[in-house]
Amino acid sequence: MGCCLRFALFTLASALAAGPAFATTYFVTVAGLGGEPDYETRFALLATDTDKILRGVGGTDRVIETLKGAEATKAKMTAVLGKIASDAKAQDVFILMMIGHGTFDGAEYKFNLPGPDISGAELAAALNRIPATRQLVVDMTSASGGVTAALKKDGRTVITATKNGTEKNATLFARYWVEALRDPAADSDKNEVVSALEAFRYAQTKTAAFFTEQKRIATEHAQLEDTQRAAAFPLVRYGNAALVVKDPAKQALVAKKEDIENKIDALKYQKDLMAPDDYKRQIGALLLELARTQEQIEK
Amino acid sequence: MRLSLTPVLLVLFEIARLNAQTLGEAERLWKAHEYQSAVKVFDALIAANPKNADYRVRYGQFFFERYDPEEAVKLFSEAIEIDPKNARAHLGLATVLAEQFSGKANESADKALELDPKLHEAHALKARIALEDDDPKKAGEEADAALSVDPADVQAIAVHTAIDLLKDHDSTWTAKLRNRAKGFETVAHFFIINRRYEDGIAYYRKAIAADPELWTAHSELGVNLMRLGQSDEAYKELELAYNKDHSSNAATRNSLKLLDTYKEFKTFKTPTTILVLHSKEAEALRPYFEAEMKRAMAVYEKKYQFKLNRPIQVEVYPNHEDFAVRTMGLPGLGALGVTFNDVVAMDSPSGRKPGEFHWASTLWHELSHVYILTLTNDRVPRWFTEGLAVHEETATTPDWGDRITPDIIAAIRDKKLLPVSEIDRGFVHPKFPAQVIVSYFEAGQMCDYIAEHFGESKLLDMAKEFAKNRPTVDVIREQLKMEPEAFDKAFLAEVEKHTEVTVKNFKEWTAGLGDLNKLARAATPNNDELIAKGRALEFFYPDYVEAGNPYVIVAKACLAKEDKACALDEYAKYSKQSGRDADAIKKYAELLKGQGRLKEAEAALDRLNFVNPLDQDLHEKLGTLYLASNDAALAVREFGALVALHPIDVAGSHYNLAKAYKAQGLGDKAREEALTALEAAPDFRPAQKLLLELSGEGPKN
Repeated sequence: MGCCLRFALFTLASALAAGPAFATTYFVTVAGLGGEPDYETRFALLATDTDKILRGVGGTDRVIETLKGAEATKAKMTAVLGKIASDAKAQDVFILMMIGHGTFDGAEYKFNLPGPDISGAELAAALNRIPATRQLVVDMTSASGGVTAALKKDGRTVITATKNGTEKNATLFARYWVEALRDPAADSDKNEVVSALEAFRYAQTKTAAFFTEQKRIATEHAQLEDTQRAAAFPLVRYGNAALVVKDPAKQALVAKKEDIENKIDALKYQKDLMAPDDYKRQIGALLLELARTQEQIEK
Repeated sequence: MRLSLTPVLLVLFEIARLNAQTLGEAERLWKAHEYQSAVKVFDALIAANPKNADYRVRYGQFFFERYDPEEAVKLFSEAIEIDPKNARAHLGLATVLAEQFSGKANESADKALELDPKLHEAHALKARIALEDDDPKKAGEEADAALSVDPADVQAIAVHTAIDLLKDHDSTWTAKLRNRAKGFETVAHFFIINRRYEDGIAYYRKAIAADPELWTAHSELGVNLMRLGQSDEAYKELELAYNKDHSSNAATRNSLKLLDTYKEFKTFKTPTTILVLHSKEAEALRPYFEAEMKRAMAVYEKKYQFKLNRPIQVEVYPNHEDFAVRTMGLPGLGALGVTFNDVVAMDSPSGRKPGEFHWASTLWHELSHVYILTLTNDRVPRWFTEGLAVHEETATTPDWGDRITPDIIAAIRDKKLLPVSEIDRGFVHPKFPAQVIVSYFEAGQMCDYIAEHFGESKLLDMAKEFAKNRPTVDVIREQLKMEPEAFDKAFLAEVEKHTEVTVKNFKEWTAGLGDLNKLARAATPNNDELIAKGRALEFFYPDYVEAGNPYVIVAKACLAKEDKACALDEYAKYSKQSGRDADAIKKYAELLKGQGRLKEAEAALDRLNFVNPLDQDLHEKLGTLYLASNDAALAVREFGALVALHPIDVAGSHYNLAKAYKAQGLGDKAREEALTALEAAPDFRPAQKLLLELSGEGPKN
């Protein structure tokens, strides 16, 4: 993660922690048509789990909408998106997670729902009406790679479970995405926030490992074009790390901490150009200094 | 009306001339190594003469020589369909089947001889098959029959030579081979299938000296040099065969490709072991493999009463087909491990689906071969070395090894176990699909039986007798003081007694298992019914721990009823019976941990390390348990393996390793790991606190 990105995340985390006066994150999870009992149960369970995890985080800075089973119709989905379009503001964050089956006929992607499906173009139109300038769409259906072109827009990050519309097998990605939301191991930078990038990498790695271990040909290859933007979408947070330090006396320490963090990032960029011992000595000193500073902040 | 015969005769002569020319042309092209052109001519010949069986036979021989057995079988079968009395077509089919070690080869050879009793090649082939079955008497008789028709039959002479040489006798037949390369090649084949690789290699060299253009011998020499780890010379021989033999031999191609990948492997040497692991998993597997190699070698040194005078080499292949090529030159091998003198090649745990393969059992199995082959100087019948190796899989650790599979139960029920004097045939020329597996089981049970009734040391006594190159029947008579037939009777009675309940209820069990799994999949399963029915099935067939086994279904039903004691009981039975499903064993460990039975939880999880040491979650769980029970060295091993597997949670895994090092009193290493954790996640508070503590700035525990 680069120094500028770290700064962006820090700012974002602070903003989110500060409450709804600054920004609201809208989460919409939709579990589409299963087609058969096993898939119906599986998709609904994943949506329920996601809903539970998101609500478990608490706070008033998030609005959570979940559609599953017979409820997850095109009409309901567009109604939920329409409501958000009227409520949300430019500084808000919008996150859509789609679980289920999708189809792609070579030209058009469709998300399978009870009753009429919703096409990629229809979805894009609904999302375009939402004023939130930062949007994340996580389409975890089969053939979801077919939706990328339709959803392309500045400020919108798209994650898909498959690399294109021709990967048509039912996907595993959603299972590991939801697992990432509750597994602290997904929080790879240990800042007590699981970002969309961390969840993506977790799910992508676990999905690939599944196919390797089971000696099967991988039938899905998750895609994410803009990793930097994905890192700036916090999905779940736990612990106190995101809390803003309000004590004015400690602001200098916070500034010092940020300075050290930036130096660490800068040093990491230089790693390949440095003598290993020199790098080791310098990074060790900076990490120790960072630990000391954090200790002082928490005193 | 009377027609003049002249034009008709002219036409007939012309057809015959064209056909003769065409066949001659095909033969000429074949001999000139212009194989693609030969194929075209053969195809044209067959198209013009669809009812000519002889042409198809010759074409089949061409494909057989050019390493395309499937096409050869097709042509021989078509020839038989056209002319069921074509002896050479039956012989051709028998030759291909024999090459594939099919149990049906003899039938086709018999058919050929029935149609043409003077077909000496069929007798020679039967002699070869008999000697492969370790039946030298029959092999000699068949060779004699071939020689009575053609005293110069090189294959028959080679079989006679091999019979003598395998017994370590000087052979008068050797001179009769004269300098015929094909004869030397056949002798080499018999040395190789009797695991006498050095002798086999010497005969392949003789074959090449007699005919430097015998590319099959170059290829076999290369494959066998590779088996013994002599990769440089192997590469030269294989490359020569590949370049000169028009690249057609799959074994040559595959072996060359594999040798090219050797740079991706890492070698770890100790004074007694050489361990070759693929770079991608070397650091994670090394501690487990090295420890088991040393443990097994210590046990075998004591048991077999000698020390090896050279290191054992173990090569571990993450790609099963690479292992197959390493072993046979061809993919598709069903085995898990193979021993060539003191070199063991085996599948890596990553070469199979998790839970499918107990790598430590395989390692102990193969290392047993190294000791027994060394002790007997490779003069040991297949059943004894395999049986002993199967016996060793569970002799030291009873919950290892493979349990009796349904195929074996069916074989016992159908009275398909072989007498001890014939059991080698079950390994080499199986007559039903599962016979090789059944023969492993039977040989293992025979060794178990001998150890139980005559003492473990009797197995060593027998090995020493086999070292004198003595036949099975003589060793049984002398060492067990009973006739082989009496041994078979007593042994079978015991096997039948042990498996009586399973065999008797096999049909009911088979149907019941299907029903049980169907019930378990119901939306709201009846847990009491599952428990009752599952336990009845466990009683019928306690060894069954594979997919859909009753233990795990019953345990889950117990948990659904919130009856942890009942679930623990089921998981304990499953674990004791060598059950290997990681989720089930982890659940078992979790329940044990919940009851404060930490050591038992550790033991349950540690068993999984012998199945899948590449399971990241396993190392995390086990490392945490070891850390909690202050077993720092084992915690270091577990977290070290986790770090080596490059987990998603880089910071967390290095932090855990740091804690384990700290617990072990290795402050410097702990500090280094804490720093690595923080490099990945600089704000990771627990790692920061640990770093401060290790730097003398934090609270000390």
